[in-house]
This record gives sequence, structure tokens and C-alpha cells, in this order.
Amino acid sequence: MPDALRITDLSYTYPGATAPVVRVPSLSLAPGEQILLAGSSGRGKSTLLQLIAGLLDPTAGTVEIDGVAIHSLRAAKRDLYRGAKIGMIFQTFNLLSGFSALENVMAPMMFSAVPRREHRDRAAALLKSLGIERVNAEPDQLSVGQQQRVAVARALACDPVLVLADEPTASLDPENAVAAMDLIQNACRERNAALLCTSHDPRTADRFLRRASLDELAATPAGTH
Amino acid sequence: MAITDLTIVRRSMTVRLFSTVTTILMVGVAVALMLTLLALKDATRNAFSRGTGNMHLLVSADSSPLVSVLNGVFYANPPARPIEWAKYGQLVRAAPWEFFIPTQLGDSYLGSPVLASTTEFFSKFEPNAGEPWSFVDGRAFEKPFEVVVGSTLAGTSGLKLGDTIYLTHGIASSRQMGNPDAAKPHVHTDFAYTVVGILAPTGSAHDRALFTDLDSTWIIHAHDRRKREAPDTVTTTVEDLTDADRKITGILARVATRPGSDVSSAIPATAYRLRADPTITVAMPKTEIDRLFAIVSNIDKVFIAMAVVVIFSSGISITLALYNSMEQRRRQIAVLRVLGSSRARILRLVLVESALLGVLGCALGLTVSLVGGQAGASVLKAQLGIFLDPMLPSTPTVLVLGGTTLLAMLAGLIPAIMAYRTPVAKNLKPIA
Repeated sequence: MPDALRITDLSYTYPGATAPVVRVPSLSLAPGEQILLAGSSGRGKSTLLQLIAGLLDPTAGTVEIDGVAIHSLRAAKRDLYRGAKIGMIFQTFNLLSGFSALENVMAPMMFSAVPRREHRDRAAALLKSLGIERVNAEPDQLSVGQQQRVAVARALACDPVLVLADEPTASLDPENAVAAMDLIQNACRERNAALLCTSHDPRTADRFLRRASLDELAATPAGTH
Repeated sequence: MAITDLTIVRRSMTVRLFSTVTTILMVGVAVALMLTLLALKDATRNAFSRGTGNMHLLVSADSSPLVSVLNGVFYANPPARPIEWAKYGQLVRAAPWEFFIPTQLGDSYLGSPVLASTTEFFSKFEPNAGEPWSFVDGRAFEKPFEVVVGSTLAGTSGLKLGDTIYLTHGIASSRQMGNPDAAKPHVHTDFAYTVVGILAPTGSAHDRALFTDLDSTWIIHAHDRRKREAPDTVTTTVEDLTDADRKITGILARVATRPGSDVSSAIPATAYRLRADPTITVAMPKTEIDRLFAIVSNIDKVFIAMAVVVIFSSGISITLALYNSMEQRRRQIAVLRVLGSSRARILRLVLVESALLGVLGCALGLTVSLVGGQAGASVLKAQLGIFLDPMLPSTPTVLVLGGTTLLAMLAGLIPAIMAYRTPVAKNLKPIA
């Protein structure tokens, strides 16, 4: 079985800059494996996630998702592949306004191979498993904690091999942050999805067996992390 | 039910309901304006064609065929010059006529024209081809001093069967109406007319006229002459009429053709032959109305050009509405991209939305022009007796609706390209 994520000699330099903002010689995640990418804001964590998701093209190196080099795919195929293989969770959830919780979870399925007749039942079951009963409520009618759950359900809707969580607890109070991390980690474990979580919150570090900062990743020789 | 592109478009429109509704209204008004103008263009022409009925030629002593039609069919003014009765006798023998009906126009009642004619006017002349006269009450005149009232005039004047009226000499001009210094019109008070019939609406100018027989008209004018000659004259009868009294102002003529046919080379040939007589004017009413519309068609073109400009303005309103919404939608677009949507699909979503605004605007405009046209036609028919049938011409209607939808889609092109180029990473950042 291929790794959920395999990065080789990845670097990214902003246009006009001289030094790369991201440099990862080597990083791999097996299916179901979880890693915390720690570090203060502005160090390139979010940029790395966008490189992994194929939203940015690297200056050099490759990113393989489930054995496929995502940047080698043509734009439209890359978008579909991202939708099918990667789930993303954002600090501010980025739920679609005007759409119900159920529709937010169904949204990624419209870009996937999941049969259309299964979308509703599948989204409803996922929300129920994450404790959301008011599936027809719109995001602004839900509490912050409930919005977080909907965001997690949406990330997992297409059974991704990799979940990228970008500072998922940054806008939550400590109590909700613990609950959110429990939710994300457990949901990924149950579905055998690898999890790459970025956070600058030191309390989150203890929850992960694998932890690294971007500096540490950059210093690691190729093929060792 | 699964989420589809149309779901996303629909939600995008409902989230900005005010902007969506105003944009649809703008397109709707523009389309309704254009369709109404197109419908009226043909409807007005058809309405003008009513009243010429089954006559082929209109003979008068007017200055031109167009004036002859305006006076003889639309009662614009009393003809300035009469035709002598002897000339009528000469003309009636000039061709094998199906009918050759003399008319005299010159008197009025409450400003409405009074047309004097023979009983053939009601038995042979049809105000609309294939639609003979019809009475809602009473009958046609049969003897002197009986009068038949057109439907609109009956409605406005309240005239009913058995009423007695007196005719006024001449038709009051606009300068005379309401002008206290104008010469007081002469009323033929020595002769009372009795209303014997009320006509059903014809949708033509005949609806605002009165109709009586030629003899009584000649008698009342001969009586005036005789009173001038001998002030002690008490009454005048048919026996007192001289040849000079027997004057007419028009002749409604139908050339003998095959039954039911209005196309025959005999019609223009007869007209051509009659035109050799310099004392008369021979008009082919349908040709004159076509000429009249050829003159006013340029005004139609100006109105339609203005409607096209309004439609283009509505296209610009679509561009602006979508352009202004882009700022709010960047995050949604970025999220959809993350969820697996391609750039091309985002572009398509915006184009579908702009096309949908156009389609909804077209539907609104079509409904307004259809319902409004029918309602307007009903009001015109009920209050003014004008028959307008605002039927939408099929090919121009399809072109307007299709063109507007295409224009709406093109109007969405700039916002769609903006959406296509939306940078994902930048728009996923938390709002400060």
C-alpha cells in the first residue's frame, strides 16, 4: 500500500524572493498515521499544506498523495484528485454560507465519484456520527463547536487518504480546542486517514506521536523523516 | 437530492436576493419593452387596416389618395370638395362594380362625424372584411331622419333607441372646441333625427360615428339654402331638392371579382382608368395605409433602437451585479476549489448564473408583455373601441429572448474570468 503522503526534496520560493519559504527534503506519512507540524505563525506551515494539496506549484521536488505525484497531474485532474484524496480543515472552518450543514458535507461529493444517490445518506450518517443532529441548520445557526464538527465531516466526506488540518484550534477556547482535536484525531483514526496538523499551540503537541517543526524538517537529510 | 451546479447557482442568487431581483427586473423591463414594441408594431398596423373593410377603392375629390383615406375611413376632416351627383352617375357606369356606395360627410353630433349614405352601406359594405355590420340594438336606417349610432359614441353619449337628436353643420375643429370667441356652430334645429340602431363594436373609426341616409342630409342643407333664398320657408322635402343639392363627398367601391377574392388585376386597372378623370381622387385604402406605415416605420425603428439600448443596459447591470458580488464570493470560490472544483467549472458556474438571470428576466418580460398587452388591449377596446391584438411575432420574439439570454451570458464573462482567476491560497486565510 503506498504512503498517504510522500514528499521528496520539496522547496518553494515566493516569486521575487531569494530564499525558499518551504524546504522539506523528505517526509512521509503512512495510511492512518498522524503528525503535528509545529511552529509560530508566518513560518510557511500553511504554504506547505497548500503545496501538498496541489494549490501551489513547488519550485522543486515532488509531493505524492496515495502514490500519485499530485503536481504532475493537469489542473482539472489535479482538482478532482485533491477532492477525492485530501480533506482539508481550516482555522475558520470556511463553511459555505447559504448552505445547510448537510449540504456543506454533500458539497465535496459533487466533485467525486461517489454516486449521487448516496450523497445525502452518506452526509447525514457522517454528521450523525459526529454528533450533529440539526443537519438542515445553516452554519451561522450552529455553535462554533458544531461548525467545527461540520468542517470535519466535510473533510472526511469523500473518504480521503490524507487530512490536512491548518491550525484547527486557533480560534477555539481551550476546552473546545481539546474537544476539536479529539474529534479530528479520532475521526481520522476510525477512517484510517493520515493526518497532518499544523499548530502553534504547545498544548496540542502532546497529542501526537510524531511532531516536527519546519526547521527540523528542513534540516533532516533526504529519506530519513 | 445531491448538490448540483444549479444548486450552487441558485444559492448564490438567493444569498444576494435584492441584487438578484433588481437585476432580473431590469432585464424583464427591457425585454417587456422590446416585445411590446414588436407586438404593437404589427397590432397598430392591423388596427389601422380595420375600417377599410371590403372596399377596394375610395373615390373622393380630396387633394390626394392619402387625404382621401384619412377623411373617408378615419373621419379626420370633412372633405373640402364635393362630388356632383351627376358625376356619381357617370362613374357608376364606368366599371362592373360589386358595390359603389355614395357617402356624404359634413355634419356632426357632439363633435362626432355623421356619415350619410344609402342602405347599401349596411347591407353590402363590411367594416372589416368578412365581418358584416352587427347591431346590439335596433336596425339600420330605412327612411329619412333615422340615425344609427356607432358603439363607442353610444357608450360615451348615452344615446339609445328612440332618442331624438339634432345635427350640427360641419365638424368642430380643435380651434373651435372650447374657444368662446369661435363662431357658434349652426345646428339644424328644424329637423330631428331618431336613433333606430346601435352598432356593435367594429374596432374601427366607424365606432365613433353616426350614420344616416343621404336624402335627409341633402334635405337639411337644401332647407338652409331655401331659407336663405326665402326666409318664410317652413319645410323642405325630397321633392324640393335640386341637382346642386345632391352632393356627396366619397364613394366606397368594390370591383366585381371572384367571390371571396380581394386580389384581382381588375382593381388597379380600374383605379388607373378612373384616375384619368382629374376631378376625382381614387385611393386604394390598403395601399395608402401601407404608405402611411412606411412613413411612420422610421419612428418604430427609433423606438426599437432605444429598446435595444435598454436591453444592453440590462446586460451591463448583470455584469455589475456579478462583479460586485465577486468580493463576497472569493472565499466560497476558494473553498469550492479546495473541495475539488476545477477553474473551468467555477467559470461555468458564473456563466450559468448570468444566463439564468437573463432567462428569468426574459420569462418576466415575456409574461409582462403578454399579460400587459392583453390587459391594455382590453382597456383600449372597452374605453376607446380600438381593437389591438398584441400578438407577439414568433421569429422576432425568439430572437429577442435568445439574444437577451446570450447577452446575459456574455455579460457574465468578465466576472466569470475574475472567478476563474481567484487565488485559492490567498482567499482561504482567516479574516483578520
